[in-house]
Amino acid sequence: MYKAAAPLARLGSVKSLTIVGLLLFLLVILVPFWWIANMSFKTYAQIQFATSIYVPNPFTWENYTGLWTDTRFPLWLRNSVITALVVTATTTVIATLGGYAVARLRFPGRESVASLILILYLVPPALLFIPLYRVLAELGTTNHLTSLFLSYPTFTVPFCTWLLIGFFKALPKELEEAALIDGANRMKAFTKVLLPLATPGIVASAIFAFTLSWNEFLYALVFIQDEKSITVPVGLNLLIYGDVFHWGELMAASVITTIPVVLLYMFIHRWMVEGLVAGSVKG
Amino acid sequence: MRHRRISRRHFLAGVLGTSATLALATRAAPAVRKGANLRLWILKTYVAPTNKAIEVSAERWAQKNGATVSVEYFTFEDMQTKYVAAIENKNTPDVGQLETGAPARFAGMGQLLDLTTFARQVEGQIGKPTANVAPVTMVDNKIYAMPWYIMGAFWYVWRDVFEKNKVKLPATYEEAKQAAHVLNRPNENFYGVGQSWNRTSDGYGVMQSLMYSYGVGWAGRDGKYRSIKTPTMQQVMKWATDIYKEGIQPADTLSWTGSQNNENFIAKKIAQTSNGPSITFALEDALAKARDATERKQREEAIANHLALPHPAGPDGRRMWSIAMSLGIFKNTKDPDAAMSLIAHLLSPEETVSVMKESYGQFGPVLDKARDASKDYFNKNDNYRTFGRAAEWFAATGWPGPVTAAAAEVQATNVLTDAPAKVIVDKWSVDQAIEWEDKKIKDVYDTLRS
Amino acid sequence: MAEARLHPRRWASASGRDTGTAFFFLLPLFALVVALIIYPFYRAIWLSFTDKLVGYPERFVGLRNYLYLLRDDTFREVIRNSLIFTVGSVTLKILSGLAMALVLNGIWRWRNFFRGLFLLPWITSTVIIALTWRWMFDSFPGRGFFNSVLMDAGLLTRPIAFMASPEGAMLAVIIANWWRGFPFFGVSYLAGMQSIPLDLYEAAAVDGAGTWRRFWHITLPGLKHVMIITILLSFIWTINDFNIVYVMTRGGPGTATQVFATYSYEVAFNQLRWGRGVTISIFVVPLFIVGIVLISRYLLRERD
Repeated sequence: MYKAAAPLARLGSVKSLTIVGLLLFLLVILVPFWWIANMSFKTYAQIQFATSIYVPNPFTWENYTGLWTDTRFPLWLRNSVITALVVTATTTVIATLGGYAVARLRFPGRESVASLILILYLVPPALLFIPLYRVLAELGTTNHLTSLFLSYPTFTVPFCTWLLIGFFKALPKELEEAALIDGANRMKAFTKVLLPLATPGIVASAIFAFTLSWNEFLYALVFIQDEKSITVPVGLNLLIYGDVFHWGELMAASVITTIPVVLLYMFIHRWMVEGLVAGSVKG
Repeated sequence: MRHRRISRRHFLAGVLGTSATLALATRAAPAVRKGANLRLWILKTYVAPTNKAIEVSAERWAQKNGATVSVEYFTFEDMQTKYVAAIENKNTPDVGQLETGAPARFAGMGQLLDLTTFARQVEGQIGKPTANVAPVTMVDNKIYAMPWYIMGAFWYVWRDVFEKNKVKLPATYEEAKQAAHVLNRPNENFYGVGQSWNRTSDGYGVMQSLMYSYGVGWAGRDGKYRSIKTPTMQQVMKWATDIYKEGIQPADTLSWTGSQNNENFIAKKIAQTSNGPSITFALEDALAKARDATERKQREEAIANHLALPHPAGPDGRRMWSIAMSLGIFKNTKDPDAAMSLIAHLLSPEETVSVMKESYGQFGPVLDKARDASKDYFNKNDNYRTFGRAAEWFAATGWPGPVTAAAAEVQATNVLTDAPAKVIVDKWSVDQAIEWEDKKIKDVYDTLRS
Repeated sequence: MAEARLHPRRWASASGRDTGTAFFFLLPLFALVVALIIYPFYRAIWLSFTDKLVGYPERFVGLRNYLYLLRDDTFREVIRNSLIFTVGSVTLKILSGLAMALVLNGIWRWRNFFRGLFLLPWITSTVIIALTWRWMFDSFPGRGFFNSVLMDAGLLTRPIAFMASPEGAMLAVIIANWWRGFPFFGVSYLAGMQSIPLDLYEAAAVDGAGTWRRFWHITLPGLKHVMIITILLSFIWTINDFNIVYVMTRGGPGTATQVFATYSYEVAFNQLRWGRGVTISIFVVPLFIVGIVLISRYLLRERD
């Protein structure tokens, strides 16, 4: 890491500006999270009548328990988990295979495939959701989680493949070359040599896929109607606009939904950053 | 009456693929084969006990007939998308609860069974719907769904606030507006009225009540498009926008969700609002959940002080846009006889009353036998007596014409509430807004497929 | 490469020697892409030329949907709203991304920790973000953060209804989108800044250039590549955003925040007009293609 060089003029004021900036950003980033968590521990009356704004008083867990007993949240959570796990599994397999092919194998049109993968990631779901709905309906999968198993990879696979291409390219080729020279075929070189080396990257890509799937909204909204089969984001949307007065529970649900992603993310944020900037900064 | 003999029309109806109708013509009452399994879709309302009661009623039928019923819910929010999905995927339920515009829309697509003969058959059992509600489920004089109940809207006011300020309880829209001015106290965060022109039935429903009570409708008696560029519509638009311009509502009214007017009323931030009986339910439910004596007292006072008045009248009469719920059978059903038996059961006076008793007044039966049986229930107090009269003032989408697919689409385009929003927010003139609204409505009628 | 000579395979040319294996490895990807992206895309185009209404079979009507939309004043408002939303949000993201990168670049002790922390909005579900900001701007004190704080501090006597006016609602959705997206810019610019050679700065310092001039003449040009790519990517993502607007305002009040994606959804699922609904989304495709071409040029230019 480059360090800021010492002989910069007016170091003092730059430093204090930086600290101020840091604090500002901290506030900007953290206040909304705090506001939601804060409300999740307040009773309905507190929220309604603004009795104690900054600190819940009395502090209550009733929204969290109410979420479990009064709403279908546990079901939605289950649906989200199942979907995320299935999609992560299929995505990881497809992306790893595809990423390896583009990163290591030589075949005509290799560069075009790489470009195509990036382009596909950018195709907006807002364009596809109507015809995709019809296709999935014709397959009889709408109103079931299957529709999500099929449609989610359309955005998780291109991104994860792109990510893994970058990772694979950064790994040293020598070990594979050695294995090939020793007579192993490509498949063996791939499974026995590359995969173990690439595990961190593959794990990062899997977590990425999980996060994308966990947070998706539009497809889940359009493809599934049965209240027992919807995912958490769609369920939350229902709680806002549907039944009356579920504010505290909505906040509790938001907190619960965000925690798994934040935890997973703590493990991989370094790779995530690398993945995000891969290619956009340098080749 | 022509119905006495089996006319050509009835034969044609049978031939047109509704074999059940023909079968019915030769049978006394629908028989259910053992092991029949039906899917029933019902609306999830804000009054949770009603939803449960309907499920329980359906269960009773299932037990009685050795059949099974699986109940699925849809909400006000996803009414359209759920049925759209089912129709496109060809997995419609056997029996579905249909809101006002749905029978016309779905019958037009050929999705519903013709129930004209069935209706005749069970008339002795369940009675007939009131004359102003019956047309909702009829297309070309054929019945495509059985009307069950209406969910009325009423004019909720805080009686104690009115009494303290010696203001007369409003009977018309003009009186309501004047009362709002007198009761308005913005410095105390209390406003005279709360009427949002949002994309929910609290918005487009009340707009229609307003229009129809002034005698304005965008369709004629024949169901064809009719221009709304009239002086009366100007008055309507003026009332709709004056309540915003004159500062008698909370500042964020226009962006309310469907439940925010309930909230604001219960929190005593507004003196008047239009709503269904779910406000009464919320108050009674809150009383049941009171944790100590102070809360009990507070909530009992709230119940005593809140009053549901008949929806305001306009110069042309008192018309209350309401949601008319009916039960229809989708043509893809594998067991039309069972479906009809289920409907006859649910619509019977005893079952209807049992559901209605759990509805906190939200459920206004429209079949005369059920109405007779429910007179006592609605005699509970002033509010309930008003709820019970809902069918008197009922007006459906597309008044004064029948409910057509075009009328339903006009409601679905949200143009009814977008128009006043343009005056309030984009500062259009009332004329401009009406002109724009009229054009959009005409466009729907011009481009709709028959 | 020399290995090609060592291992004669079916295809003699170096560039094609793994074609068979590659086909096998890429087959799942292609199957997915063709069946669920390319095919629906093609059907979207076809659907836009029909008058498909739910429950009825579709009929070919040529360009009728396109012409209708071009003449529809609501659609013109949608275009305007989408552009305001996108340009506003992306501009804010650029500025705050630069600021964030400068701040992070200026500290080194806990840089990774803060960088990770600042990325939190990026990984949070957009529905929750929309919900959160809806509440931040709520006019019910007790729920609305800004109103609560301002009223508590005595600066307000009555709550401000931020989201009830078209400008306020648009501002609210822009801010929610910005909050979610600027960490991506920040992190990218940080990485970009860190690859600018230090000697350039030292040389400029020796020449007597102040902080601001160093920033303007060294940092910014050094970031040009990253900036172009992040702007293009964000532009494409933002102009197609559905979640934030839908959950925060549903396109309201009236049609003040209606954008392409939400309008397309409304027309298709409330009015049941799928032909017209799809056409709305297709209007963005030309922009999308231009964006793609530009990104490909910049992003892939230096790949090995």
